[in-house]
Amino acid sequence: MSRISKILKQRELRTFLFLVLLFIAVGLVNSDYLSLQNIDKSLKSSLMYIVLAVGMTFVLLTGNLDISVGGTLGLSAAVSGMILRDGGSIFVAVLAALAIGLIIGLINGYGVIKLKISSFIMTLAVLSITRVVQVIYTNGKWVENIPAHVKELSSVSIFGFNALALIVIIGVILVQLYLTKSSKGRYYYAIGDNKDGAVSLGIPVDRYIAYSFIISGVSAALAGLIFVSQIGFVSTNAGAGIELTVIAASVIGGVSLVGGIGTVIGATLGAIILTSLNSALVYLKVQAIWNDLISGTLLIVIVVADALLAYNARKKAKKLRLNARVLQKGV
Amino acid sequence: MMHMLKKIPKWNLMLVALIVLEIVIFGLINPRFWNISILLNSFNDFIPIAIVAFFVTIVVITGGIDISGVSIIGLASVVTGLLSQVVGLNIWLSVILAVAVGGLAGLLNGILVAYARVQAMVVTLGGKLLYSGIAIVLVGLSGVSTYEGFSKFPPGFGQIANGKALGIPNAVVIFAVLFLLAYILLHRTRYGRYIYLTGINQNAAEYSGINTKRIIASTYVLSGLGAGVAGVVLTSYLGSARSDYGVEYLMPILTAVVLGGTLITGGKGGVVGTALASIILGFMQVGLQMAGVSTQYIGLATGVLLIVSVAFLGINPDFRMNVKRILSLRKEKIGG
Repeated sequence: MSRISKILKQRELRTFLFLVLLFIAVGLVNSDYLSLQNIDKSLKSSLMYIVLAVGMTFVLLTGNLDISVGGTLGLSAAVSGMILRDGGSIFVAVLAALAIGLIIGLINGYGVIKLKISSFIMTLAVLSITRVVQVIYTNGKWVENIPAHVKELSSVSIFGFNALALIVIIGVILVQLYLTKSSKGRYYYAIGDNKDGAVSLGIPVDRYIAYSFIISGVSAALAGLIFVSQIGFVSTNAGAGIELTVIAASVIGGVSLVGGIGTVIGATLGAIILTSLNSALVYLKVQAIWNDLISGTLLIVIVVADALLAYNARKKAKKLRLNARVLQKGV
Repeated sequence: MMHMLKKIPKWNLMLVALIVLEIVIFGLINPRFWNISILLNSFNDFIPIAIVAFFVTIVVITGGIDISGVSIIGLASVVTGLLSQVVGLNIWLSVILAVAVGGLAGLLNGILVAYARVQAMVVTLGGKLLYSGIAIVLVGLSGVSTYEGFSKFPPGFGQIANGKALGIPNAVVIFAVLFLLAYILLHRTRYGRYIYLTGINQNAAEYSGINTKRIIASTYVLSGLGAGVAGVVLTSYLGSARSDYGVEYLMPILTAVVLGGTLITGGKGGVVGTALASIILGFMQVGLQMAGVSTQYIGLATGVLLIVSVAFLGINPDFRMNVKRILSLRKEKIGG
């Protein structure tokens, strides 16, 4: 085990401990919260966020942002929802959604790489365009009456375990292995850590940045499919504001917006924390009006703590280096 | 330096041309657009966007970003309503306190960005959640319906946005005053020069004796105060105080800043461009509405405008450099 991966592990461990602590603390007040049923429910409702956060992590790792995921989710959910409603096959609906994710990812990548627009601005513009496209496509109406067999897909279970959750968890583990164990996966870290260095190493930086936007777009499209299956209808503002929640989830899970730091496991834990927090408030009998205030405070406290820890670690490392140099001189 | 001075007015000139183009085209579609009083009254619809955008421009010039302003608008609105109608304070005192609350929210952002060294995007994202959360809680605890909000304001308060001074709508006056304030701060004071220096190279600015942390923190306070004013103006215009005011403004605010020619990476830009860009956006909204286009479609126009404008700004220097390189290569070949 190299040292770096050990340190990374620690960050995920902290996030995980926080999640456990959250469940225990809420469980002490209301023991129903610790029931398997609720844990299963929390996991299920966070699936959409997990998929989005995994895609977002790729973009964040390269040091970019993807604000357009909410729009991609809405558009792909609306299009696939309409296909399913009109009696189309699930296969066509999935293909359509994936195509939308791919195209939006390509557009984002093109803007960021070729037009040299900052990713924040580019994806923000794409977000507002996709919203309008969704309104035009659906005529500003909700997509309803999605057949029951589609909705049932989200509650199929294997060995008493939700199949969808199982697929997502396996997917996250595979992506984590890809990012940390394969050389291609490490490219994303290299690009975010030091772009010029990555270029010097011969990494096709532009291509991998484009990949990251495509992965994020396709993940958002998959999240859109989960949305259709779990919620069963698509409103014109489905997924509005979700991009900020997803970024918040990734940051809580230890993914850095500067790039090069973070794992999909962390982002997944962050997504679970944010969704569990909302249901925790219900179990604590706290009114829903407190949701934003508490998530906002939590986000700020966690990032500030992270920043201070990182600053102290840097200072310590600097001191160690200085000491080593002084000792060498002494010899 | 000359290069910079030469370049910015050119972009502004293009923005002015765009405004003229809008007036001509929208006027041809619907002659009502040429009615000056209708045009001036349309200022009310985009004034909160412009006010926040002026000061976000200053934040962006330091190399930061502030997306929490959209929530501070709602917070200031709710505070105005709460203080004047539940606590029973004088309406003008409530207004001042509401703007001050905006400044405090900005101060928290600023301290976390400048002193705790957290990324501006993350801090203001947290702030966006936090401040709208506070506004929602304040409304919820005071037992007012979320939809109606606080709505029993004295008629004098409504005059802030809806009244007229010397025949000019107050909205235009507020726009002009805040623009002048931001312009003088940024372009006519030493403080303004420090803001640019910090944005161009924070380390260099620090070594030349500028307290860059204080400068950065102060720009977030300005941005918070601006959002506070915007919240009060919007409350006065619409006649009620609600927590969800401003939520849909994030996109237009950032479009105004970026379309105005301010680099998102900092160090370059100005409030003149932001003012022109916000007028472009405002006219576009009014013009499209008059032309019978649903407001739902305006996002398409702003989105395309944003990409096109930034692509222009972004490609230009690169493009020019490449052309220069090719030319110089050719010369070398001919010479050698």
